[in-house]
Amino acid sequence: MTPVAVMVGANRIVSAAGIIHPLGSADLSPEDEKALRRRIVEQALQALRTEVAKPTVFGRE
Amino acid sequence: MAAGTLRVVCYLNQFFGQLGGEEKAGVGPQVVDGAVGAARAVQQALGDAGTVVATVICGDNYAAEQAERATAELVSLVAAARPDLLVAGPAFLAGRYGVACGALCVAAQAELKIATVTGMHAENPGVELYRRQVYVVQTGAEATRMLPEVQRLVALGLKLARGEAIGAPAAHGYFARGVTRNIVAGANAADRAVAMLLDKLAGRAFTTEVPRPAFPPVAAPRLVKTLAGATIALVTDGGLVPRGNPDGIEALNATRYGAYSIEGKSSLDAAQYDNPHRGYDTTWVKQDPHRLVPVDVARELEQSGAIGKLHETIYSTVGVATTLAQSARMGREIAEKLRAAGVDAVILTST
Amino acid sequence: MRLELGWSDVDEVTAAPATRLAGKRLEVDLDGLRELLSADPRLTRIRLDLAHPGERCRIARVFDVVAPRAKTDGGEDFPGVLGSVARAGHGRTLALGGVAVVATDQQTDNVGTLAVIDMAGPNAALSAFGRTHNLVISAWPSPSTERSDYLAAVRLAALKTAVHLAGTAREAEPNRVDVFELPPSPRVPPELAHLPRVAYVFQIHSHQRPTGLDEGILYGDPVRRMLPTIVHPNEVLDGAVLRGFMGRSVTTWAIQNHPMIRALYAQHGRTLWFAGVVVTVAQATEPERVRSAFLTAGLVAHALGADGAVLTKIGGGAPHVDMAQAAAHCEALGVKTTAVVEDMSTDGSAEGMLLFDFPGVDALVNVGSSQEPIILPAMERVVGADDIASKLLGETRATYGGLCGAIEQVGATRVMAEVR
Repeated sequence: MTPVAVMVGANRIVSAAGIIHPLGSADLSPEDEKALRRRIVEQALQALRTEVAKPTVFGRE
Repeated sequence: MAAGTLRVVCYLNQFFGQLGGEEKAGVGPQVVDGAVGAARAVQQALGDAGTVVATVICGDNYAAEQAERATAELVSLVAAARPDLLVAGPAFLAGRYGVACGALCVAAQAELKIATVTGMHAENPGVELYRRQVYVVQTGAEATRMLPEVQRLVALGLKLARGEAIGAPAAHGYFARGVTRNIVAGANAADRAVAMLLDKLAGRAFTTEVPRPAFPPVAAPRLVKTLAGATIALVTDGGLVPRGNPDGIEALNATRYGAYSIEGKSSLDAAQYDNPHRGYDTTWVKQDPHRLVPVDVARELEQSGAIGKLHETIYSTVGVATTLAQSARMGREIAEKLRAAGVDAVILTST
Repeated sequence: MRLELGWSDVDEVTAAPATRLAGKRLEVDLDGLRELLSADPRLTRIRLDLAHPGERCRIARVFDVVAPRAKTDGGEDFPGVLGSVARAGHGRTLALGGVAVVATDQQTDNVGTLAVIDMAGPNAALSAFGRTHNLVISAWPSPSTERSDYLAAVRLAALKTAVHLAGTAREAEPNRVDVFELPPSPRVPPELAHLPRVAYVFQIHSHQRPTGLDEGILYGDPVRRMLPTIVHPNEVLDGAVLRGFMGRSVTTWAIQNHPMIRALYAQHGRTLWFAGVVVTVAQATEPERVRSAFLTAGLVAHALGADGAVLTKIGGGAPHVDMAQAAAHCEALGVKTTAVVEDMSTDGSAEGMLLFDFPGVDALVNVGSSQEPIILPAMERVVGADDIASKLLGETRATYGGLCGAIEQVGATRVMAEVR
C-alpha cells in the first residue's frame, strides 16, 4: 500500500513484508523471521536519519 | 407580502452597501430596511418569489479583524429580520468580503437554521474555506456581469429555501462541495468505461467520474539528534489491542485509538493481546504481535545503544475504512502526546 | 471460439411435482431438488424458498448469486468445480432469463458481512435480483464441517441448482440466442485493422484473504499465487470463472453475465477490436503487486498488442491500488486505460474517493459508494435468515454495499457516486 502513503504525503515510507504480517513471515523460521524484522526496523531507523524533500519509499533489499 | 413569498436578507460590504470605499472598510455591522445598493439586483432577480426585507452591511476590515465578533453581531441582525434565506455577496474577487460572506453563511445556517447562499470568483479564498459547508456560486472577478450571476445565486437560494433537491454543481453553477452522493446513471459502469476509453483513445475530451486527490505536501521534519540519543515510539494502524479491547476501538471506521504501556516489557505476549481489524486476515499478527509492532527488536536496539530509548507507550488504532477527517485528528492527537512526552521519532506500522 | 447462449425467458416460477419448463413458466420439484442437494455430507438440513419480484419479501444472509446455465452436447458445467476440467466457451449453452439461484450463508455469526435482496420497494429496482424469480438455498453445515468446506458445499449446491434449472430448457426452442465469436487476437481482417485494439484486465480475486483449497475460481483452481494470464472472453461467459468465497460487491451472476465482456463484444468490429482478456489476482505485498502489474502490462501491450485497456477490480482498498498499479504500468507502455473504481470514501467526502494518484490513470468510472447509507423499508416476509428475521421485517438501515446487486464492481450496475 505504499502508493497510498505516497499520495497522502507521508515522507518516509519503508516497504514492509506484506499486509498480513508487515514485520514478519509465516514462511520463515522464528530466527529468520526475527532477523527479517530487525532488517526492516533498521531500514526504518536509517530512513529517519535520511533527509527527504518529498514522499520517499525506502525499499527492502 | 403575498403568501408563499420568501423573506430574504442580503449581506453586503461597505462598498456594495453604498456606504463608501476602502475608507469605510472599518465600519461595524448595521442594518437597513429593504434592499439597498447591490441588494436591489437580488430583489430584481427574486421578482415575486421573495422580498428583501433587510440589507445587513459590514466593513471588510471590521469583518476581517474582528471576525468572531462581527459574525455574532451580524447573525443577530439577520435573525431580527426573520428571513427564510440569506444571500451574501456576491463578493467577486474581494478576499476579505468573500471570507466574511462564507463565515456569515456558515453561522446563519447553524444557528438560525435558514438557507444561505453566496457567490464569488474561483480564486477568492472564501471558496476553499467555505465551499464544503455552504453553497458558493461561481462568479466573475468583477461586478460587470453581476445581473446574470445574481440570478444564478438567487435561483439556487430559492431552491434551498424551498427544500428542493439540488442537482450537480454544473447544473446550478456552484463550486463542488466535495461530497459524493450515489445516483443512478443512465448506463451501466461497463458501458460508460468502454465509451470513456474510446474517447481517450481518439483524443476526445472525457469527464472522469472521480477527481484526482489533492493532498497538501507535509514538510519532512529532520531528526536533529543521533539515533543513539533519540527516543523512538512505535505506533500502528494494524489494530493491536490488549485482550478485551478495553478502549473499544472499532473494527471499521475507527474514531478511537488506544495508548498501551510496554514499560518493562522486552516483548509482547500474544496471550495478552487481540486484534479487531477487519481489513486483513489478522491470524499471523495475533499469533505473534511482533509481526505488527516490533517491540522485541526495538528493545534490543535500545539495549545495544543503537537507539537512545524506546518510548514506554504504544499507540494503536484500526485503519480500515477510517475517514480522512478521523485519521487526521487521531494522528494529530497522537503526535501531540508523543511530542509532549519528549519522543523524537515514530515508526508507524501500517497494514 | 464460438459460443451460443440460448435464452429461455421465464416470467413465472412455481413449486410443482416435477421440474420442467412449460412455456414461460418454470415448475420446480423442490422436494426432489432438496434431496439431490442433500447428498453432500458437508451439509445438513437444506431449505429451498422461492421469492418473486413484487413480493414484500427480503432475502438475507446472501452469500452469492448464480445464473442458471447448462451446457449441451457434452460440455462440462462449471468445469473444475462442478464438472470436469474442460474448455468452456464454445458450443451451445442453455440460459434461463428472469431466474436466479441465491445461496445464503447460515454458518457465520458475522451477519453484517452478508447482503440482502429486496423483492419490492425502492431497493428492488437498484438490483438485478429484485427483478428475478429467486430460488433461495439455505443449508446448514454438518457438525465438524469447517468454514471453507461449508462455503464450498453451499456454492456447489448453488451451481448444481443452476444447472438443474437451466436443463429444463433442453427441449425448448430458445426465445433468443446470443452469439459470441472472437478469433484469435492476432488474426484481424485487413479491413478492420484500423480499429483500436482494446483489452480487458479482469481482476478475479484478491489475496488479502488466502483462498481455501476447495475455493475454485479459474477452472476450479484456487488461484493462489496466480500470475497474470490470458483467457478467451467466452471462457468467462461460460462458467470458467467463479467468484471466490469473499465477494465485495461482486456476484458469480455478474461474472456469468459479464457486462464488460458483453460491452466489448457489442463494439467489436465496429468501434474497436476486442483484443482479449487478461485475468489477474490482486496481490498482498508490494513486490508481488509490482511484479503482477508489469506482467499484466506486458501481456496487454506485447502479447495482445492492445492500444487501450479497461480494468475492473474485486475487493476493497488493496485491490483498488493493485488495479491502479497495473493501469499505470500499461500507461507507461503507451496503452491508454480506463479503470472502474469504487468510491472509497467512508464519509461521503470527495477527497476520500480515490486511494491512488498515478500518472496517466486519469480516466475513471465509478460504481458508487458502498458505504453510503440506504433505508431498508419494512417487509412482510424474510427468507434465508430465521435468526434475524424479526429485525429485518421492520424498517432498518443498511448500506448500498449491503444490498446485493446494487453495486457490481465488474460494471453491471448503474449506481454511481456523483461529486457534488
